Amino acid sequence: MDITTEIIGEEKRLIDILSEEDVLPLLSTAIEGGAAEATILDESGAVLWHRGTRTGDDVPACFLPIRLEGEDIGQIRLTREGNKSLPVETLAAILQHSLQTILLCRLKRIFTNQVHSKVVNLSYEELLEKNRLLTLSEKKYRDLSATLEKKVDERTQELNAAHLRLIQQEKMTAIGQLAAGIAHEINNPLGYIISNLTTLKSYAEKLLLLAEKYRSEDGCPPGRKESVDSFWSELKFDYVCGDLIPLVTQSIAGAIRVKKIVSDLKGFAHMEEGSTSAVNLNEEIERTLRVLAHDIPHNTRIVREYGDIPTFVCNPGLFCQVFLNILRNSVQARTEDLQLHIRTEASSRGTLLIFSDNGPGIPREISARIFEPFFTTKDIGNGTGLGLTVAYDIVKGAGGTIEVSCPETGGTTFSIVLPSQRTP
Amino acid sequence: MVEYDEQNRKMVLKLVYYGPALSGKTTNILQLHELITRKERGELMIMDTVGDRTMYFDLLPFFLMAPSGLKIKVKVYTVPGQVQHDSTRKAVLQRADGVAFIADSQLSQETINFESFENLEKNLSIVGLDIEKLPLVIQFNKRDLADICPEEEIRNDWQVTGIPFLMASALNGWGVLETFSKLAELTYDHIDRRYHLEAEHGLSREMFLLKLLPRESE
Repeated sequence: MDITTEIIGEEKRLIDILSEEDVLPLLSTAIEGGAAEATILDESGAVLWHRGTRTGDDVPACFLPIRLEGEDIGQIRLTREGNKSLPVETLAAILQHSLQTILLCRLKRIFTNQVHSKVVNLSYEELLEKNRLLTLSEKKYRDLSATLEKKVDERTQELNAAHLRLIQQEKMTAIGQLAAGIAHEINNPLGYIISNLTTLKSYAEKLLLLAEKYRSEDGCPPGRKESVDSFWSELKFDYVCGDLIPLVTQSIAGAIRVKKIVSDLKGFAHMEEGSTSAVNLNEEIERTLRVLAHDIPHNTRIVREYGDIPTFVCNPGLFCQVFLNILRNSVQARTEDLQLHIRTEASSRGTLLIFSDNGPGIPREISARIFEPFFTTKDIGNGTGLGLTVAYDIVKGAGGTIEVSCPETGGTTFSIVLPSQRTP
Repeated sequence: MVEYDEQNRKMVLKLVYYGPALSGKTTNILQLHELITRKERGELMIMDTVGDRTMYFDLLPFFLMAPSGLKIKVKVYTVPGQVQHDSTRKAVLQRADGVAFIADSQLSQETINFESFENLEKNLSIVGLDIEKLPLVIQFNKRDLADICPEEEIRNDWQVTGIPFLMASALNGWGVLETFSKLAELTYDHIDRRYHLEAEHGLSREMFLLKLLPRESE
């Protein structure tokens, strides 16, 4: 906006204010009234307008000033013809008064025009600007109203997803607690079962020795040897002797295994440590593998490359869920000749946890979606579509990142990076 | 911005009387017209008014001659105070060499004064004038009325700004010349720095004021 072009009240010269149409009729009237020559001069004495016959400088002339804002900005010059006696002064005075009046009116009109056009321009510029802002704001509201429904839908979905994730996490926790509770209850009877079985084994050994002794030549009462032998065979005692100890031994081994599983379950649910603590993640991965053991196909080869990684302050139960969800995916992806490769490493980026399998991999078009809630490729009822979402949330919540990649060589690799500088 | 015509040895200064509606800007200029009745004064031009309210502006010109022959013309303008005439105010304010802000002393007008002063600050910056450098005086008019803001309070409010303020009752004619004189003085100092009025034209500040304002004897 250029508002400096014309300044209101700027100095004006006579020629700027009066026009030929204003002046010449007046000058002509003066001539008709008897003047020989009527002239208007500017501030420097130069002729602006002129009527009548040129008279020489020797002819006496009547001069009257034209004033503007207290300044002389021109002159009226009237001469009479030499021989006539005429009140040229009166004519000049009338002329002066008329011109002054016209001048003032013209000046006011000029000023009014200046202000008016300036105000109109300024107002126009302001209106344009206002219009521009209104258009912008209108567009904003239009866009807003157009997308509002979509945005509400998106938000609702996000909220629903978050809600279901929370439920899922809580469910996992509840299951963990239940498992731990049951494990605790099983532990006591299991303790005396193992203890009693061990005692039973030593008793059985003694019993077998006694039976052996009773059957032998010097242990058997005379004349009874035959009937003992016959009864021995009848009871298939040879077989019993051979089977009894392995039987008990196997039972003890089984019970010990149950004990181990129970203890892992307890550890997995981390009943006793609901809050965070410094955790050795290698151990947690091992624990998860043991819990998952019944699901891992028999001919699976597991390669462990545990690095010397720093302890990580977290809720170990949650991280077991992360490992469980990743490993379960691998286990379910391939039932024959499954290979699991687990590698942990301390690097400059933080602690790396890498889980690779030789499964079918994840198609490129869905790999971006696998962390989305409810995204699942499993049949209805087999997967919640939340496992990896929960894993993602837990890792992110711990300040880490989780990524999935499918190398050219096949299989799927999950890479978790956790910040290394976490102090309790 | 001084209108300076070196060839014709003429300088035109523009002083603007600003302020809220009905604070007495036109009354000030009418009184100046009454009080300064010397030859070197032009006629007061009051542009069209609506219901006796200034719609465009009023204009009162003065002249003085420096010993060097430089003619200095001082044009005093008023602006319309009504809020809706903001564009006119902006237009008149352009290229001002000094501003007298005429405030209404009545208690009921306090907020309106502040709003008008903010409007002045805004418009000065729009027309490219720096309020920090521009000669500026404030007149608290209507001191003759009853419900007015005490001088003590005005001092507390305005002294910190460093802007000279004067008390006046334009209707009764007092404080009007003092305000004009103070503004002329500041304007002289401001333009002397650039145009060396004293050094090159032999026009001291005292002489400038003396020529512009009526002497005691007159």
